[in-house]
Amino acid sequence: MDFTISDDQATLAQGVRDYLAGVHGPEVLRELDAEESRRSDAVWQGLVEMGLSGLLVPEAQGGLGLSLLDGVGIAIELGRAGVAEPIADTALVAAPLLVAAGGQDALLERIATGSAKIALQHPVNPWTADLDTASHVLSADSDALLLAERSGTARLLDSVDPLRRLFVPASAGGAAIGTSGALLDHAALIAAAQQIGIAEAMLAQATDYAKTRTQFGQPIGSFQAVKHHLASAAVKIAFARPVVQRAAVSLGEGAAHAAVHASHAKLAASDAAWATAETATQVHGAMGYTYEVDLHFWMKRAWALASAWGDRAFHLARIDAAVIGGTLPIGPGHSFA
Amino acid sequence: MDLAYTPEQQAFRAEVRAWMEANVPREPLLTLECEQGYRQHVEWERKLASGNWGMVTWSEAYGGRGLDLIQWLIFEEEYYRAGAPLRANQNGIFLLGPTIMEFGTDEQKARFLTPMARGEVIWAQAWSEPNAGSDMAAITSKAIRDGDHYVITGQKTWSSRASFADWGFGLFRTDPDSKRHKGLSFILFDLNAPGVTRRPIRQLHGDPGFAELFFDEVRVPVANRIAGEGEGWNVAMATAGFERGLMLRSPARFQAAAARLVSLFRAHEAKASPAAREQVMQAWMDAQAYAYNTYAVASQIMAGGHIGAEASLNKIFWSELDRAMHRTAMQLLGAAAELRHLNDGGLNGWLEGYIFSLSGPIYAGSNEIQRNIIAERLLGLPR
Ligand SMILES: Cc1cc2nc3c(=O)[nH]c(=O)nc-3n(C[C@H](O)[C@H](O)[C@H](O)COP(=O)(O)OP(=O)(O)OC[C@H]3O[C@@H](n4cnc5c(N)ncnc54)[C@H](O)[C@@H]3O)c2cc1C
Repeated sequence: MDFTISDDQATLAQGVRDYLAGVHGPEVLRELDAEESRRSDAVWQGLVEMGLSGLLVPEAQGGLGLSLLDGVGIAIELGRAGVAEPIADTALVAAPLLVAAGGQDALLERIATGSAKIALQHPVNPWTADLDTASHVLSADSDALLLAERSGTARLLDSVDPLRRLFVPASAGGAAIGTSGALLDHAALIAAAQQIGIAEAMLAQATDYAKTRTQFGQPIGSFQAVKHHLASAAVKIAFARPVVQRAAVSLGEGAAHAAVHASHAKLAASDAAWATAETATQVHGAMGYTYEVDLHFWMKRAWALASAWGDRAFHLARIDAAVIGGTLPIGPGHSFA
Repeated sequence: MDLAYTPEQQAFRAEVRAWMEANVPREPLLTLECEQGYRQHVEWERKLASGNWGMVTWSEAYGGRGLDLIQWLIFEEEYYRAGAPLRANQNGIFLLGPTIMEFGTDEQKARFLTPMARGEVIWAQAWSEPNAGSDMAAITSKAIRDGDHYVITGQKTWSSRASFADWGFGLFRTDPDSKRHKGLSFILFDLNAPGVTRRPIRQLHGDPGFAELFFDEVRVPVANRIAGEGEGWNVAMATAGFERGLMLRSPARFQAAAARLVSLFRAHEAKASPAAREQVMQAWMDAQAYAYNTYAVASQIMAGGHIGAEASLNKIFWSELDRAMHRTAMQLLGAAAELRHLNDGGLNGWLEGYIFSLSGPIYAGSNEIQRNIIAERLLGLPR
């Protein structure tokens, strides 16, 4: 029993964090917002060169062969930096599922080199992200996981998240390569991990603002009402993070109740991110109500990810069946059931 | 990260489980807050000590088992799983004990720790005064040096267990001219010493769970001072850290309450509101989150880390969780919520628990003070 991330995991996440802080600051988000495509080959290439596309691809296929928990550490950083490229879907969700399905070595090699982008399609999501630039579509029907090359185009929707590219999906079809269950759980986990990073980014922005904005002759962060808003957000985030880590381990091991853990992670992280978004807006005053302050990029991503890959009702229903329905052992001694 | 228990840890769990099953009283004890209940709980402490379960993380030299924090968490899980009584010994083993280990002399360790682990001496804490609550640096009770004794005069209040306990520990002003955090010393005293008067205070539930203490020239040996004269504030802050931090409220306590809440919900499902259903799920999720976080903190400490102002995050989380869970239970009970004893004659534990949960956000440093600490020390906001 050891609930710590390793030094290597911490170092990797810190490296990615530093890299993204250097090349993917808010000014990049604003530039992307002005681009028709909302995407940048340069940003994608940078992520690939950092090794992120191959993070979970086995070494034999040119990747780093790391674990889902490593992937969660990186997803947190992608959230923190507001990265909108389809790297999380491709490298952190699709790649491990393709590894588990087996027989996908060629595609995994392409993922590692950054030449394949995988769009994810699932009945729980009415829309599909980044379908236009995807090379492949990994989709789920009621029981099978299907892989197809993307064909044709789709109608672009208008998300409140300025960098999100959502499309009305056509039936993707393709060959069955496995069972469908894991797609939703993995994607919910990676969304949850991004929410942690998004929430921490918003808390940091609001805290910085509270240190510099002065009213009544003092920084607003010296006012207790402001302090307590921010402290409450910090509490929520602190207790969501280990839930996400626990779900990563559970899914990585294919544990019996991994789906419940994924739902718990999605709920805890989304609640924390949503609450932090409201707090951060409030602390910014009217600035928080503008398109000019960077905060809105993260806030809108938090809203989007809260309902993607199973909304609150969907995940609560799964907790309900397990906890009230009694399929999951609960109580002291069942911390890791 | 490895979230599986080792075979040794599983064997340890089985050992604790077997002992608890054989020894936990079949009938629930009376409340710890009344005299007879207190005696029953002390008897239980002695029983625990007879099995060497007083404080499993302490070294064998002091009546412990020299176990690590994961084993402690396992112990606590089995303790609550068995429905074992609350710990009358909590001030000693969770607060003063760690303080003496960090700041005490060898003589003090030898004198105080073993009787503490064995439940032979039950401790009360005495920080608060009528005019020093959240603002503890406003303490005015004095301990004036007289040869190798201090002479204590003043008043303490809200001292848990002090109505019945044996010894107390607290902060006293050893430099009468000092102000605020300076000139305070951390002193242990015998509650039966001449000059100490206890006035039990009835708590919200009606029983005297805490007391006022009056000191009238109470002579205490200088050898009962922990750390240097005038260094009491820092020692007390360490004690407070232990209180908010890892040990005072182990996750098993809330996991047990959440599981009971789920059972209560099932029994009342037909007339429960959809909101109650969601609150029950939230209770389970938050109790689990608290468990994961505690395992994470325990693992970090075992790897050489240490917990500082982060303890304030914990204190807010468990106290607000506890109150929310019990509030939900009160709402599920409907008309029966107000009954102190339910139809089957048993105590309405949810009502008792709800009443107690109201104190969680107040004691051990109010949650407002904890939010100040988080804002100033973790987020770096200006004071
Ligand atoms: C069940 C229980 C057991 C206790 N056991 C013990 C014990 O064993 N030993 C002991 O010494 N004490 C004990 N206490 C006392 C406890 O430590 C104090 O109640 C606590 O520190 C708060 O002090 P106070 O009651 O004087 O409230 P006050 O300090 O008067 O606070 C009243 C309200 O004002 C708020 N407030 C005060 N200052 C600030 C500030 N700076 N910023 C924002 N809000 C503020 C508080 O948060 C609170 O909401 C116990 C209390 C309870 C309820």
